[in-house]
Amino acid sequence: MSLEQVVFALAGAVCIAGAITAATHRDPRVAGAALLITLLSLAVLYAGLAAPAVAAAVILVALFVTAPLVVQLTVPVSRAQTAGGPAVAGAAVLMGTLLLATLAVAIARGEVPVSVSVRPADGYDMAGLRDLLTGRAAAAAGGSVAVLLAAALAARAARRDGSPVP
Amino acid sequence: MTTVAYLYLGAILFVAGALGTVIRANAGGRIIGVELMFAAATLTFAASAVGFRELDGQVAAMVVIVVAIAHAAVGFSLGVGLRGRG
Repeated sequence: MSLEQVVFALAGAVCIAGAITAATHRDPRVAGAALLITLLSLAVLYAGLAAPAVAAAVILVALFVTAPLVVQLTVPVSRAQTAGGPAVAGAAVLMGTLLLATLAVAIARGEVPVSVSVRPADGYDMAGLRDLLTGRAAAAAGGSVAVLLAAALAARAARRDGSPVP
Repeated sequence: MTTVAYLYLGAILFVAGALGTVIRANAGGRIIGVELMFAAATLTFAASAVGFRELDGQVAAMVVIVVAIAHAAVGFSLGVGLRGRG
């Protein structure tokens, strides 16, 4: 069993399970999280298809479009305080802009391999994969996800207390 | 791994998204279903591009991604507007 088949089997199973969960689960938070997992597993599949540009676009969409949308649709809001949505959206846009700038700098410095592929016909680029997982861009993406989750939790706590969202 | 496997996966994704769009009663669930269908279309275009050894499919996939972003923006605005009416 080749590396491409293993990647396809794992990412495909996660993708199907996430899609079915996102489509059928009653809790919108679980459905939104399942949608994000589905999109990220699709990004892995695109890398397996030797389409790194599409994979990168899907990751960016998942982080900066779908994640704020899911947060907006799933974070509970009290009837007395309904002005938190635009504040959360603005914070997400600011964080997205910062990460995009970080990624642009990393690409300009040649730290993001754009020829990553696991297809046997292209040859296994394990060094490129290792650089992608351990490089500065991966750290920036992980940090951005952590900050986005912290912002969602802070907005949720602020709304629960009834205080205005910063 | 053959391109057909990716096409089957895209079909399963599309059916799941269509199912979610039909059976979910709230707007958020239906938006998630439509996003799944966009993801399925993107996967189909990208897999076809590899199968036919052409880059046109990847360009089409990027276009679908941009349309999905626009759809998510509309959903976001609807969510903010509906919550504002509360």
